[in-house]
Amino acid sequence: MSRVAEPVVGPDALTPDALEAQLRAIGEQRYHDRHPFNQRMHEGALTRHEIQTWARNRYYYQSRIPLKDSLIVSKADDPAFRREWLQRIQDHDGAREGEGGLSLWLQLAQAVGLDPASVERLEDILPGVRRACDAYVELVEASDLLTSVAASLTELFAGDIMHTRIDAFEQHYPWVDTSGLAYFRARTTQAPRDAAWGLDFVRRGATSRDAQQRCLEALERKCKILWSLLDAVERAGRRPALVSHAVLRFDEAESAWLVVLPERALKLGGSGRAILERCDGSRSGAEVMGEIAALAGASESADREVDDFLHAMERAGAICFEPARE
Amino acid sequence: MPAPRPFNLVAELTYRCPLRCPYCSNPLDHASLRDRLDAPAWASLFASASELGVVHVGLTGGEPSARSDLEQIVHGAAEAGLYPHLVTAGRPLTPDRLSDLRTAGLRSVQLSFQDAEPEASDRIAGTQSFTAKLELAHAVRRLGLPLVLNVVLHRENLERVPEMIALARELDAARLELANVQLHGWARRNRQALLPTREQLETAGAIVRAARREGRGPELVFVLPDHWSERPKPCMGGWGRKTIVVAPDGLVMPCHEARALPGIELWNAAERPLRACWEDAPGMNAYRGEEWMRAPCRSCPERERDFAGCRCQAFHLAGDAAIADPACALSPARDTLLAARDDARANAAWVYRGSRAQRRVDQ
Repeated sequence: MSRVAEPVVGPDALTPDALEAQLRAIGEQRYHDRHPFNQRMHEGALTRHEIQTWARNRYYYQSRIPLKDSLIVSKADDPAFRREWLQRIQDHDGAREGEGGLSLWLQLAQAVGLDPASVERLEDILPGVRRACDAYVELVEASDLLTSVAASLTELFAGDIMHTRIDAFEQHYPWVDTSGLAYFRARTTQAPRDAAWGLDFVRRGATSRDAQQRCLEALERKCKILWSLLDAVERAGRRPALVSHAVLRFDEAESAWLVVLPERALKLGGSGRAILERCDGSRSGAEVMGEIAALAGASESADREVDDFLHAMERAGAICFEPARE
Repeated sequence: MPAPRPFNLVAELTYRCPLRCPYCSNPLDHASLRDRLDAPAWASLFASASELGVVHVGLTGGEPSARSDLEQIVHGAAEAGLYPHLVTAGRPLTPDRLSDLRTAGLRSVQLSFQDAEPEASDRIAGTQSFTAKLELAHAVRRLGLPLVLNVVLHRENLERVPEMIALARELDAARLELANVQLHGWARRNRQALLPTREQLETAGAIVRAARREGRGPELVFVLPDHWSERPKPCMGGWGRKTIVVAPDGLVMPCHEARALPGIELWNAAERPLRACWEDAPGMNAYRGEEWMRAPCRSCPERERDFAGCRCQAFHLAGDAAIADPACALSPARDTLLAARDDARANAAWVYRGSRAQRRVDQ
């Protein structure tokens, strides 16, 4: 991509084109279109319940976007920047009641069979989703203007995924009323426009190697956040099962239960054993959370602890997730 | 200090092996050490290990499947409540026999490859084995056992790390251990031919990091060689601290080659209870804890992490087992390691393990 006037770059800094190439490479490797959940969505392999869980939880992400954009606006000295960026808030919130991206998402929620009022009240948001989305707002809050804009550049990759998604819904999920797809249709044009503007801002603003590095890292972190959101949705819907080579046993010396795996053993604290005993492939992650919360007296943090634990056990190779069932 | 709880048992069932890798970590005089413990003796040792707190047992050698009673031995380990893990080179083990081992209680398998390419792998192993390894790897996964691949890296095969990663993916390994050669056993003898160049290591390290970033399996372990490190490894997780090694002749050791240290008195599980061998043998206590340490280890803040490194390496390079591991840049004997490193060269010949005529192979 060539431009008439390239910004001046500092010593060891990448040229704007090289920076853009690296930003795009991050997207190619890490954008959540590659996440197994999205891939299954686009192949038509998700159950109705998985689609519903996703739509409900993804609304929490949508609801954080205007907050994030307001933080970005508050960092900008330049009125032209603020005018541009306020457009994004209006895209989400609408010019009046019943318009805008949030409203369109509630339309999607209704189309997939959810109660939109319950979705709007942010009921039953999974702890891992809540944390991922809050982490995005916190990332922007703690970053300078340039880095915050760089974190938003996942929009560069969003245009394509919207087209894929519209096709996938029309083809594989005919039970979803097509009026529900209005959000995706709106984003096919909004995302590329926003991304082009943001990209240009980053190309011009990131003139030192240090600033460029911060931009690259911010985009990576954002990709991780989107990824972990889907991880959490996936864990809730699929059915955790202890792998066949894992052994649960009591350890006399430690007075604790261990899960023993090849060349490693993990000590289980708290409700670890109770959780693993329920990981038999018959219950979904959400059902395990529900049962443990009931045992623990439904404390606010129980779901989150169970979700963290399942995630840790998956990474340690102690459990795998079997597909969701209708 | 009181003996700590051991978590792992390394059961060297035999030093016999059909492979002849020039970096074998078995003792140079392995042929003179016969298999002294029969299956019932191993079973009773496993029960004692379990009482001491051992959780995992690695059944290794030599080649453990060279023992005709391996099924009984695996059964004994499982009966004792241990988690049996087989460390094999893939021969003479067969898929049918592996199935029997699984029935006997085997939980996981580590399979070695010498290279990712058949000819190179067979050449380094000094015997035809690559095809048998592939068959066995598939059998491991068919049986639902988790598979770890292990490749010892050195000057001759470091270029093929990408192919090794591809092989591990193709074979559905849970983990790939890329372990740069260390100067133990036969590798010490063959170090001129085996030690890699710094450029080779850096390239391989970058490839491993890039593969990890792809975010798919297998788990990649890249063990740096001591010769290009500034700090020593926590050898065996500390001397007599976490792992019991029992040799084919019954000797109970803190590591695979401790018997070679001069004047060390280790005890034999065929003659005394395992607990005594672990807790009370003078040799087992010789380098336990920190009392024995000298400067600079004694006051080093990292001593709790690296336990002053490897005693055997200190002895073999510097002639003094109590000196700081020469792998540490702060060791008074550092120059001995640098000399060994600089002695490495391209096109050096190696001696295969166990070649009676010490046949040199021109490459």
